Amino acid sequence: MSRFFATGSDSESEESSSADEITPKATGTTFNKPNKEAFTTNLILCCPLRFRFEELTNIIKTIRNAMKIRDMSKCLEEFEQLYRAFLKSKTIVDKEGVPQFYIRLLADLEDYLNQLWEDKEGKKKMNKNNAKALSTLRQKIRKYNKDFETEIASYKEVLNSSTNVISLCRCQDEESESDDDEDSEDWGSDSVDSGGESEDNEGAAASLAVVFLKKYKDGRRKRHKKIEQVEEEVDEDGEAEEGGWEKVKGGVPLVKEKPKMFAKGTEINSAVVIKKLTEILQARGKKGTDRAAQIELLHALSGISNENNLGQGILVKIKFNIIASLYDYNTNLAAFMKPEMWKKCLECIDELLDILFENNNIFIGENIAEDSENLAISDQPFRVRGCILTLVERMDEEFTKIMQNTDPHSQEYVDNLKDEGRVCGIIDRLLQYLESKGSTEEVCRIYLRRIMHTYYKFDYKAHRRSLGLQGETKSEQDQEESEGEDSAIIMDRLCKFIYAKDRTDRIRTCAILCHIYHHALHSRWYQARDLMLMSHLQDNIQHADPPVQILYNRTMVQLGICAFRQGMIKDAHNALLDIQSSGRAKELLGQGLLMRNMQERNAEQEKIEKRRQVPFHMHINLELLECVYLVSAMLLEIPYMAAHEFDARRRMISKQFHHQLRVGERQPLLGPPESMREHVVAASKAMKMGDWRTCHSFIINEKMNSKVWDLFPETQCVREMLVRKIQEESLRTYLFTYSSVYDSISMETLSEMFELELPTVHSIISKMIINEELMASLDQPTQTVVMHRTEPTSLQNMALQLAEKLGGLVENNERVFDLKQGVYGGYFNRGQYLAKIQLFEYLESEGAKKSQY
Amino acid sequence: MASRKEAPSGKSLDSPVRQIQIEGLVRPHHQALQGSEVVQGVLLGLVVEDRLEITNCFPFPQHTEDDADFDEVQYQMEMMRSLRHVNIDHLHVGWYQSTFYGSFVSRALLDSQFSYQHAIEESVVLIYDPIKTAQGSLCLKAYRLTPKLMEICREKDFSADGLKKASVGYENMFEEVPIVIKNSHLINVLLWELEDKSTAADKHELLNLSSSTHLEKSLQMLMDRVDEMSQDIVKYNNYCRSLSKQQQQKHQYIQRRQQENAQRQSRGEPPLPEEDLSKMFKPPQPPPRMDTLLIASQLSTYCQTIKEFTSQNLGKLFMAEALQGTSSYS
Repeated sequence: MSRFFATGSDSESEESSSADEITPKATGTTFNKPNKEAFTTNLILCCPLRFRFEELTNIIKTIRNAMKIRDMSKCLEEFEQLYRAFLKSKTIVDKEGVPQFYIRLLADLEDYLNQLWEDKEGKKKMNKNNAKALSTLRQKIRKYNKDFETEIASYKEVLNSSTNVISLCRCQDEESESDDDEDSEDWGSDSVDSGGESEDNEGAAASLAVVFLKKYKDGRRKRHKKIEQVEEEVDEDGEAEEGGWEKVKGGVPLVKEKPKMFAKGTEINSAVVIKKLTEILQARGKKGTDRAAQIELLHALSGISNENNLGQGILVKIKFNIIASLYDYNTNLAAFMKPEMWKKCLECIDELLDILFENNNIFIGENIAEDSENLAISDQPFRVRGCILTLVERMDEEFTKIMQNTDPHSQEYVDNLKDEGRVCGIIDRLLQYLESKGSTEEVCRIYLRRIMHTYYKFDYKAHRRSLGLQGETKSEQDQEESEGEDSAIIMDRLCKFIYAKDRTDRIRTCAILCHIYHHALHSRWYQARDLMLMSHLQDNIQHADPPVQILYNRTMVQLGICAFRQGMIKDAHNALLDIQSSGRAKELLGQGLLMRNMQERNAEQEKIEKRRQVPFHMHINLELLECVYLVSAMLLEIPYMAAHEFDARRRMISKQFHHQLRVGERQPLLGPPESMREHVVAASKAMKMGDWRTCHSFIINEKMNSKVWDLFPETQCVREMLVRKIQEESLRTYLFTYSSVYDSISMETLSEMFELELPTVHSIISKMIINEELMASLDQPTQTVVMHRTEPTSLQNMALQLAEKLGGLVENNERVFDLKQGVYGGYFNRGQYLAKIQLFEYLESEGAKKSQY
Repeated sequence: MASRKEAPSGKSLDSPVRQIQIEGLVRPHHQALQGSEVVQGVLLGLVVEDRLEITNCFPFPQHTEDDADFDEVQYQMEMMRSLRHVNIDHLHVGWYQSTFYGSFVSRALLDSQFSYQHAIEESVVLIYDPIKTAQGSLCLKAYRLTPKLMEICREKDFSADGLKKASVGYENMFEEVPIVIKNSHLINVLLWELEDKSTAADKHELLNLSSSTHLEKSLQMLMDRVDEMSQDIVKYNNYCRSLSKQQQQKHQYIQRRQQENAQRQSRGEPPLPEEDLSKMFKPPQPPPRMDTLLIASQLSTYCQTIKEFTSQNLGKLFMAEALQGTSSYS
């Protein structure tokens, strides 16, 4: 930007806005035409050349812009276009030689890419698309540049010498130095430009085209220089602003916005920027405000403040507002963010966190009043109103919303889910930040966010470690992952902090539930159960809000499944009973809406309910849930049914299981079982007969494995446990059902029949005898069970039932008497009733008599 | 087996038929009797003095879902005409029905017997228990509706009051008519011969000690009835309660009205106009009592059969005990 080049002509500029300002060119090249009129004389010669080269330069311009904003995918795209355009202009190139500007771009691009490549930190921050584009582009340019090796080498030489020239120039011009310094990073390429030109000029060896282009570029710069010169006199700050202008101009869509921001020549200082900011913000929420434009404006403003070094305070303030307006973009609460908005939002939050981490002297908080903010004075700590925690929480909600609104079976869902890592990363960083700066409540809140992103994930590496397989990690990444803290430890730490410090009940409740869920998920049954019992959540959960209730339901289900894995069938059944018996498991777990409810709720309610849905990746498999429930019910119910076959008022343990059995019985034709339910029903039937082998084959087979059992992390253990339970319960059922036909039975036979060890059989039978379920005694020397045969026969049972019923009848009848309506018809009298009583006495005596034979 | 004769009970019945004489030939020989389906048929015969002689029968065709438009009356007329052609008694004297474990008292039986008795005064219904008969004791009973019940049925007044007025209880709904079975000599000869020929083992069925299945079935049915009875009573109870409540309200209303009128009179004002009380207090629909009555009757039949059965069985058991005792001594 030295004055040295201020003399470049502007012949190419289409708008030629500054044509009148052109000063006589310093260079004496013959081909360089000062104005349009002169240019037309050369038109015939130049036309195809000009056309082609203009195309190339346009592309180059876009590439350079893309480079500036680090948009690699754009770079790649444009580069490919450039390559094609270059091929098209091959004939001209052959004639004229490779244009200098083309070489320059190639060299710059390569340098730039290499620099990016080295910058590991930056690369990590890049999103996936960009990173991918970067590596492709780097390979391409490497290959491509081989063809131009000599040219590039010579160009680089020139570059080196030209820097000397520039430094010379700097000495000549003091004021432009400051400018240069300030923008040296951004405008590194510009100095190269100029260097190139100086070389050109000095050497006078370049082709017409090269110079031509050079002039074009210089012309533009020159134009600004002119403006600058005017402004320089006004203020030193103007120069800084100039840089800002340039930067804004870089972004193509922003060119139009430019006039809106600041009037030309306005002094850019923090007060002005803040004023502008409030101005923009005032439009927020008003009708007819273009929300997209507002975001762009804020972006531009942040760029300006950045350029002008107005300090981090303002930047933070602007960032806050950018993020807020990104959230504002959707007026409808139900609608979710567009992917590009979402990406932008993530980036913004990331940048904001960057700033906050880098600058320790920024205080943010929602309780800082608008007027006590300190945005500009850098020697005092900055005070900014705004709550980063709220922003991150909102971001998390937006993420959930995006997941809710994506088809869970599409690739898109997977792609969206990949962002979860970033979301977690942001939450982690904020967590670190708040741990050092935030209040306890804020820490609790961010902890809960962290917990919410952890509790439902199964910690495979901890699982593997516990199995002792850690050494077999395959790749570097795995290694890296396994080095992290166990999620159990993290959960423990976070939750305990919340238990101790939290003052709002809701966060603690959620934390407890998540903690229980996490314990249950990792088969730490006793911890999970104890926590559940200690929290007394079961007593008052009905007062909680629906999302917490959904979480509670999810936790109970997970607890039940955990109990099942551990072989606590009864506990599993009890935990799952509430969810399953309603038949609305899907709804209760927030995993979908039931169709039949459609007419019962209006559209508004439906929307609310939809918002409560749990994203697909957190779902609990409903079939697994039902299967676990049904199998538990089977293991409990079948022996119970066998034991209470003749009971008049026998209670059902599980209504749903009975329902399934009845459905099974209603089938006119019984084929081999297909669905999970049919398998369980078939198994139950086998178990009723005490046939454990068939039962086993129905419960555990290929189909059921793939449908249900393989979903458990410790499949093998669960299967073994199940087989054992089936054997034990079948033995019990067998004894209940067939004890009446045995006088005595050897335990050895039983142990063979059910493939159980003798001590187990012994203990099961002893338990049954103690509980008075089985009327028998054990004969130790012969290892046999001797039946007492004291259970009432079915006839006696019936007589008892009848007596009971008659009791009810008499009671009812007496009530009629009580009403003193008189005796009707004499259809009932005491004598008849007594006759009946006699009958039953007789029946019982007869039964007793018969049992003697 | 048909040779056993029921002793005519000396109790005189106030009906045109005092005794029923059944020809040995008459046996509801349905194939379906073995099944659990109820079969019905027509009895044919003559009335001689106070004796109803049943000499023949034919079954109603089995109903199937397919031929719903089958004309039963047509069939009966056709059948009787055909029988007349072969010179058999063709007078319609009643109908018969099979039963299981004594469950026959139902609304349907009442209705059809009523219509029979209404049309043909002497007609009876024969109840035949094929299972019990197969077990060795002929179970054949003839029933008629009592005149009181006939009266009620004719008036179709099944309310509690109506039944009370007619003093119809479950025990005097049906009257049993004694049956005498009379065989021709030829048949008697055949039976003697059969008895001679049959081995001892064939007769042992009568001594069968296993009673539990029969008893269980009976008890099961008894229980079902008791349940129904219970429900009916609850219904009736509710009715009574609501009725009395309403009556109370009505009473209160009338009293208030009277008080007001008295006050008005003392003030010299005209009394309030009379209102239709029955419109204001509609009495609740009384539940029909006939079903309850039938259930009660059925219950008593069940009890009767069970009593009979168990007393027989108890005898058998004592006999077996004695036998066992002697065998163990020897």
